[in-house]
Amino acid sequence: MYKMIAVSALAALCVAAGCKKKDDGGAGGSASPMTKEDKGADKAPESGGAVTINGSGSTFQKPYQEIALDTFTKANAGVKINYGGGGSGKGRQDLADQVVDFAGADSPYKDADLAKNKGGDVLYFPILLGAITVSFNVAGVDKLQLSAATIAKIFQRDIKKWNDKDIAADNPGAKLPDADIVVAHRSDGSGTTDNFTKYLDKAAKDVWKLKSGATVEWPSDTQAGNGNPGVAQIVKSTPGAVGYVDLSDAKASGLKFATVKNQAGKFIEPTADSASAAGDGIDVKDNLLFSALDPGGDAAYPITYQSWVIVYAKQTDHAKGAALKSYLKYLVSDAQAQLKSLDFAPLPKGLADKAVAQLDKIQVP
Amino acid sequence: MQLADLRGNKQYADRVFSALAVAAAGLVLLILGMIAVIMTRRAWPAFGSEFFTSTKWSTADHVFGALPFVWGTLYTALIAIVIALPISLGVALFITQIAPPVLKKPMVYLIDLLAVVPSVVFGLWGVLVLSQHFGLGRSFLTAGIILAIMIIPIITSLSREVIETTPPSEKEAALALGATRWEMIGASVIPHSKGGLVGAVMLGLGRAMGETIAAALVIGSIPRITLNPFAAGDSMPAVIANQWGEADGPHKAALIALAVALFVITIAVNLIATGIVQRSMKRSRGA
Amino acid sequence: MTATSAYQESTATRRRSDLRARRSWRTTKNDLMTGLMIGAVALVAIPLVAVMWSVIARGAAIAFQHFPDFFTAAVPVVSRAPGPGMGPAILGTLLVTGGATLIAVPIGILGAVYLHEYGANKQLARLVRFMATVMTGVPSVVMGLFVYLIWTLTFGYSAFGGALALACLMLPVVIGATEQMLRLVPSQLREAAYALGTTKSRTILTVVLPAALPGIVSGALLAVARAAGETAPLLFAVGAAHEFNLHLFSEANTALSVQIFANANSSFTASQDRAWAAALTLVLLTFVVTLVARLFTARLALKR
Repeated sequence: MYKMIAVSALAALCVAAGCKKKDDGGAGGSASPMTKEDKGADKAPESGGAVTINGSGSTFQKPYQEIALDTFTKANAGVKINYGGGGSGKGRQDLADQVVDFAGADSPYKDADLAKNKGGDVLYFPILLGAITVSFNVAGVDKLQLSAATIAKIFQRDIKKWNDKDIAADNPGAKLPDADIVVAHRSDGSGTTDNFTKYLDKAAKDVWKLKSGATVEWPSDTQAGNGNPGVAQIVKSTPGAVGYVDLSDAKASGLKFATVKNQAGKFIEPTADSASAAGDGIDVKDNLLFSALDPGGDAAYPITYQSWVIVYAKQTDHAKGAALKSYLKYLVSDAQAQLKSLDFAPLPKGLADKAVAQLDKIQVP
Repeated sequence: MQLADLRGNKQYADRVFSALAVAAAGLVLLILGMIAVIMTRRAWPAFGSEFFTSTKWSTADHVFGALPFVWGTLYTALIAIVIALPISLGVALFITQIAPPVLKKPMVYLIDLLAVVPSVVFGLWGVLVLSQHFGLGRSFLTAGIILAIMIIPIITSLSREVIETTPPSEKEAALALGATRWEMIGASVIPHSKGGLVGAVMLGLGRAMGETIAAALVIGSIPRITLNPFAAGDSMPAVIANQWGEADGPHKAALIALAVALFVITIAVNLIATGIVQRSMKRSRGA
Repeated sequence: MTATSAYQESTATRRRSDLRARRSWRTTKNDLMTGLMIGAVALVAIPLVAVMWSVIARGAAIAFQHFPDFFTAAVPVVSRAPGPGMGPAILGTLLVTGGATLIAVPIGILGAVYLHEYGANKQLARLVRFMATVMTGVPSVVMGLFVYLIWTLTFGYSAFGGALALACLMLPVVIGATEQMLRLVPSQLREAAYALGTTKSRTILTVVLPAALPGIVSGALLAVARAAGETAPLLFAVGAAHEFNLHLFSEANTALSVQIFANANSSFTASQDRAWAAALTLVLLTFVVTLVARLFTARLALKR
């Protein structure tokens, strides 16, 4: 009896010892493979000297990260890249704790939090722009025009019916039904919510009362969905629904979206091109931080937002730092061509150049 | 002649074993203690008076009131237990008392199958079927139903094991006295199994209060206190999971504070439940 | 008396001495309760069938297309692209859940042994018993957070971190269930063993535990099934890889539950299809494990 226990304990220890190989944050992920679970699955080739870079954060930029790292790793055999999503806040936190090598975020660190970053100063690299649609599902209505003030009133439930005079004023001549509006928003914290509400804060200053943030205190007679797809699903399946969904997910779900009035007074449809046009009208700071919301320009879609990749200026590992720099360069230059197919907008030329120039500020040992 | 020491000569192994057992039990306290300490430290800034009294949860205003989430957790857990308890008991009794032997094994495996479905899948199914198809929407009731479905396997499985150990002699005694099957169950099976059944229900309750993902998907995420089961609400684990990814410092502290609150509430609920059970056991034993 | 009338009289007597209970409110109550129990079974069967139907209907096509592609190919990096691949997730789930089981089950059983065999009603035992029940109520997201703080921050993403988090979730269930089962082992068995001169530890290992084995395995399987389906803790501790990672202690990994959550919540049908196929895989995998475990214990357990 005791023999059996002793033998199995010993076996377990051997197995554990055989697997125990802590990757010391550098090249070399090879270790003696585990002898247990081996269901004939394909194994990745033992990569001697491979570098792995981990990132996490904004789910908004995740589709871009996926395509970019796929092509990049195929072209650079020695590099493995993982991007985990999880939200801009998580990304910023993970980078602060140095659990990841880069963070994806739709908004920058708050000043108070900068001091908590274990690795020192950070650099922001903008990588894309994208549009947030105001998607709707109203029987008999195919086109809808909305101004910022109307959107604000709808989402804070000042306007409760589709044939309200404010909506009618935005859509002269349109036939709007006497139906209830069902507002859909996010149940989870989100950069999309953050930027959508920031837009309303800016463009509908005197009307919007709910303030801005990744989570907002929505009125209780609204519905919440998980993630952009969750909101899209509510809009799609509920007659009379309206919600804010990013362009990619809105298109994939087959939703109809409104044209929104921009600063120049024109009603613009959300597309990759109109998001690009928004990029032309923005004011970029030296550290490459900016806001693309409610920009100037005739063709600009007003609810356009941006995403950055954040890294530490001072890298601690040569192989990882070099790989990271190379990947970042790819993200802000060659990979940009793939953005349109994802319904994102590439960076305006001037901004992309500045991003490439900022790469020099990364110090690799 | 010396009296033979009948204890055998493996005393050293015996002491090692009992030491291991104590250590294992102590590990529970250690882990919980660590969780409590680490969480409370991080949550400290959020424990203002408004945390305990306010029903408002606003990140912009930095006002974090825990009450709506406490309500949501308790209410959905209550709904879940009310639905799950009779059903689980019924199924466990059916499997052990009524089902013909050929049905027993397949039924046990069926319950296992229900236990095996991941919570995420239940959540998604809840969204697609319960809230959309049956029009229940995202509400306390939908969350309660999903939670009930998730805890039924736990309560059923453990109840079944407990009921199986009822001594046949007690059952036969009741039957011999002319009891119907149900009366036999009431007279012999249930009194014997009461303690174990309560234990099973407590495990199920714990799971219902702590379930994160499935609840997060179907509860509606609108923090409010209301008795209307068809209204959308929010619960502590759901809001922690939903809002963690994008939370900043004070927001995170508030979320961790909710976790600590859940901890305390779980302790309170367990205390009350144990108290009720002990009192009822005393009464039945004293009779 | 004629032969026929004698026969008639004896059957009449037989009818009168029919010992089955005459219909009364007691029998009605019995039938009602039986009906309710059958109803309960039906109520359980409905969601089970419905969920399994959804999982199979949506998942089977992708999972079994070009078998065994789905189970061996890597996860597509671009999540909205169609195509199979949950191999690394299957491996990850096995590593993480297997690791968690190896940690939680022995410790849980030992802990329950302490609670029932050694501790009985002592202060420490009562405290641990109570706290174990409280621990079942700790949400998985909090466990994930906890492991993130004590393990991931120091050692980075790894499958082991996930295993730790899941073990913490499994431990109280194993302890609770095992203790219930130990309580039901008749004391005569123990006393007989002591009478034969067996030490306490040996009695427990060779008599008590085998007697309680089916129940212990039930509890353990419940814990394993839950652990295999948990998402939140893994997001904090394991990271997100898309290739096979055999290493338990280093580098990010992935798991079926994480993949299901990430993909099902997507607007793109390719991701959704993969999510349901992954769900089917997870259900099949866990179910096979429970089947095997139950068959195994049927052989090992002491006959009741």
